[in-house]
Amino acid sequence: MSQPNRIDGGLIDRSQTLSFTFNGRTMQGHPGDTLASALLANGQRLIGRSFKYHRPRGVFTAGSEEPNALVHLRKGAHREPNTRATTAELFAGLEATSQNHRGPLNFDLMAATDLLAPWLGAGFYYKTFMWPKAFWEKVYEPIIRASAGLGSLSKLEDPDSYDKGFLHCDLLIVGAGPAGLSAALAAGRSGARVILADEDFRLGGRLNAETLEVDGMAGSDWAATAMAELASMDNVRNLPRTTVYGAYDHGIYGALERRTDHLATANGKPRQILWRVYSKRALLTAGATERPIAFPMNDRPGVMLAGAVRTYANRFGVAPGKRVAVFTNNDDGWRTATDLAAKGVEVTAVIDARTGTAPATTPATFPGASIVMGGRVVDSAGRRGLTSITLANGQTIPTDCLAVSGGWSPNVHLTCHQQGRPEWRDDIAAFVPAADLPPGLSVAGAANGKLTLAAALAEGRAKANAAVKDLGFTASRKAAPKAEDEASETSAFWHVSEGKGRAWLDLQNDVTVKDVLQSHAEGFRSVEHMKRYTTLGMATDQGKTANIPALAIMAQQTDKTIPETGTTIFRPPYTPVPIGALAGRSRGKTFRPTRLTPSHQWAKESGASFVETGNWLRAEWFARPGEQGWRDSVDREVEMTRNSVGICDVTTLGKIDIQGRDAAEFLNKIYANGFAKLPIGKVRYGLMLREDGFAYDDGTTARLSDTHFIMTTTTANAVLVFRQMEFARQCLWPGLDVHMNSVTDGWAQYAVAGPNSRKLLAKLVDGFDISNAAFPFMACASLTVCGGTPARLFRISFSGELAYEIAVPARYGDAMIRALMAAGKEFDATPYGTEALGVMRIEKGHAAGNELNGQTTALNLGMARMVSKTKDSIGNTLSERPGMNRDDAIKLVGLRPVDRSKSLSAGAHFVERKTQATTENDLGWMTSVAYSPSLGHSIGLGFLQRGDARVGDILRAVNLIHDQDIEVEVVPTHFIDPDGRRLRA
Amino acid sequence: MPDFTLTAEPFLGGYSRDFDGTTLVEVTDVSITSIAQPLGGREALATAVRSAWGCALPAPGETAKAGNGHRLFCTGPDSFLLTGTGVGDPAAKALKGAAYVTDQSDAWVTLRLTGPLARPALERICPIDLHPDALPVKAFARTVMEHLGAILLVEGADDFTLMSASSSAKSFLHGIEVSLANAA
Repeated sequence: MSQPNRIDGGLIDRSQTLSFTFNGRTMQGHPGDTLASALLANGQRLIGRSFKYHRPRGVFTAGSEEPNALVHLRKGAHREPNTRATTAELFAGLEATSQNHRGPLNFDLMAATDLLAPWLGAGFYYKTFMWPKAFWEKVYEPIIRASAGLGSLSKLEDPDSYDKGFLHCDLLIVGAGPAGLSAALAAGRSGARVILADEDFRLGGRLNAETLEVDGMAGSDWAATAMAELASMDNVRNLPRTTVYGAYDHGIYGALERRTDHLATANGKPRQILWRVYSKRALLTAGATERPIAFPMNDRPGVMLAGAVRTYANRFGVAPGKRVAVFTNNDDGWRTATDLAAKGVEVTAVIDARTGTAPATTPATFPGASIVMGGRVVDSAGRRGLTSITLANGQTIPTDCLAVSGGWSPNVHLTCHQQGRPEWRDDIAAFVPAADLPPGLSVAGAANGKLTLAAALAEGRAKANAAVKDLGFTASRKAAPKAEDEASETSAFWHVSEGKGRAWLDLQNDVTVKDVLQSHAEGFRSVEHMKRYTTLGMATDQGKTANIPALAIMAQQTDKTIPETGTTIFRPPYTPVPIGALAGRSRGKTFRPTRLTPSHQWAKESGASFVETGNWLRAEWFARPGEQGWRDSVDREVEMTRNSVGICDVTTLGKIDIQGRDAAEFLNKIYANGFAKLPIGKVRYGLMLREDGFAYDDGTTARLSDTHFIMTTTTANAVLVFRQMEFARQCLWPGLDVHMNSVTDGWAQYAVAGPNSRKLLAKLVDGFDISNAAFPFMACASLTVCGGTPARLFRISFSGELAYEIAVPARYGDAMIRALMAAGKEFDATPYGTEALGVMRIEKGHAAGNELNGQTTALNLGMARMVSKTKDSIGNTLSERPGMNRDDAIKLVGLRPVDRSKSLSAGAHFVERKTQATTENDLGWMTSVAYSPSLGHSIGLGFLQRGDARVGDILRAVNLIHDQDIEVEVVPTHFIDPDGRRLRA
Repeated sequence: MPDFTLTAEPFLGGYSRDFDGTTLVEVTDVSITSIAQPLGGREALATAVRSAWGCALPAPGETAKAGNGHRLFCTGPDSFLLTGTGVGDPAAKALKGAAYVTDQSDAWVTLRLTGPLARPALERICPIDLHPDALPVKAFARTVMEHLGAILLVEGADDFTLMSASSSAKSFLHGIEVSLANAA
């Protein structure tokens, strides 16, 4: 029979039937069902196996606090483990499977673990698997991991997409139950911008689960009316299926919206959106969570929270059992009996732990039921589902569903996300938010301990009005919705101490009362230690139903009160957030933005491979047909450049436009060497020091006019240098007239290097004289090229050749590289990439990132004389510290292998020929190496103690990682053209 | 004269696409000029701007209509951007030395996003509040979208000009395209 447990009523659409499968068995449900309600309707009580003992477990709650009913949802790569059946919305074709068992769910082979339970208490593996030590990682842990646990991952790439976004509001209302709806109506009517978020797909909270009335109509009808009014307000945004999972600084809240989880397919849309909500004020109306009473053998499928049992009956039209018993310590539990009886479900017993007379509801309402005041459940029976319970008085009551209520705990979580600690209230035996709330947050309704309907509605309205008034809005005068406060007396009864057998506290982690007691006995006195030792309150439900009863037991054990025992810290997220949602769309190649130079398309067409330098993609070399590997390409590019002409895109170097009456003086302070007297039309190499006197960046700066300079920085430090100069401008010398703009992206810049570079460029400039006499080494000019395109020309050289850098506005960059190559055809011009650039700078002895590593000084780099002592500049003074000016300081030197056929390796350390390769004998290290096609052997740069005095000496370069130990000769850093004749040609 | 001429290539090739009635178009005929006020030269600049373009200096976060279809943005206490067609050198001349001028036309890519999906799409990448109460028409904001610095100008109810660095233009475009597809 289909849906044997379906009863009348409920907020489901019976006009449609949805087919779904659980462990391959086809079942039916209706729109408005959750997977849990549909499974219960179909009589499926056994949903999964427990974490540690593989005990049969069923649905325990009707919400996001569910510890038991976790399933794998969907198939293949779409499979999501640990999905709570109680929140998963039913759709046609849904496929769910149960978790954590070997073999079929009904006959889990691992259930034998349960027989070993006496030896598997809290911390058993810390104590048991101690020897041999090496076995832990290789043997014990894998076995434990395989047998314990929740769902399993598909181990396939997540095929779904996710997105993020940003929302802004005056008032964020977290939770759309009675307090939240009442608050949203009040705030919405005031004109404030309101966001109302709720984790459920049907807004209304407990109004949809109860039979209480608001404004003279059924609570669920009132909720629907309220939602309709809110939907009509432009200033209110309703976010169903959205969990506000964390409270962060400055009124920022994290929210996860499940966009397509309730649909069979996402149709290419993001499955979930992670919203960052910027609120001016926030109101927490997240309700309360019912908690169980611990009693022996309380974990069988069929044992459920009382509020959940009536949620299934009232909202979903499902009777979780045919003969339902209630075990409560408070008035609210009785309403489950009342509501079920009203639906025609047999109530077999109501057991109230309190002594005295039964509350207002007369026992006559439940014909044939045992009413037991001062009663306690001490045992239960039914291997795969509850069949009976036994009371302390010896009475055995046949039942297939026991509804348990241990009272309600306000959902204070978000109030504690900024180190707030909740306060205990004896009258409701629960923690409520204290005064130390995150700034801007207030709390109303059940979340604030107002556990009855009229009180929640009134407080929601009042707190919302206070918040909007605070923001300058005029609060609506409309009264709070009318309702009555239901009976809600409770008692602090947590645990049935009689009876044998385990009494579970944390169903998800299989933690029992005994485990908590044992943890205490073993010395774990802090609640945080107890949590870690027993794992109580961990995993997907974070102990929402378990924590308070466990605290109560711990408090009893230590003769302390519950508030003295204290709670563990509440941290985001409130409910699990998929890693995919945290990543959003930042996956794969779009993880970070990519910067492309204007010649990128041309380079791609020309066989370039690219290297990431920061966010930039730069051509590393341009392979030609027949070349066997990167070295062939790089050697050729170097040779062609040195023999004729090569062209390299240097757009990525930072370019900073500096203007102002005091620009020269400013640069004089920024650079260690002098810039005040740089003539107009000239470029100078400059070295920058940090405040502490170490070298940090180098580059050239050109003077275009009295008040106008163009600085270049290294690619890597472009942003850093700009930022540091902006700091210097604004904070160190605000009295100087200096203004800066980054123009890195604005200009495409190409190095044209080699003996034929002048001839090539002469074909492109518009009548501009670039002869050596008119435009000598280190000259610069603004000019036009190719018939009127504005350009800047610099005669600077990183390669050591006669060379220029030509810059054009970036939009002409593609045309410019094509023009350069076309004009260079007659010279057999070659493009070259970063590798050839590196080879040529090593041949020329120029320092780069390997040498300017943030730990070296001008002295180390052989540039001590550049640090001008006739002026003040950043780092000048601290560069004079004695420790940085020792006689035995390391100095940059050139190195070549004594046996020219050997290759040098970067990172090798230098030792004397006859000493051992130990740290004490270390003389320095090799920073950069290259094969020099110009010299026909390997060359290197390195830092060597007293290096300047050791030219001609033979040392050993030892690289223990590469097992290399070769003799090297110390040489000057300039391997090519030491006199600089080529670049001045 | 050289045998070569250079043709300008828009950073996004003159991109233009319709997303169900919302259009995203690369604006290629825009010039952008950075204008820096010399230290102590506020009044001289204000006078020069008034005589050149007939408008007052806007306050930070605000823009002013500067004649000839130009718009002047105040991007900081002493800095402004002038957008329009063919500004660059003419702007420098018009201000007659009352400001330091840098042509930034090639440093920025400019996109125009117009239509009903504009706001839902921007909501996915733009952290600032775009509600008209917070950012009225002709107000602008400097912000970060998809890790990229950006300028957003409200042109009309569902009409925005977006500017970001030209070297990462394709990444910027991709971010907006994904947002439009996701929000649709």
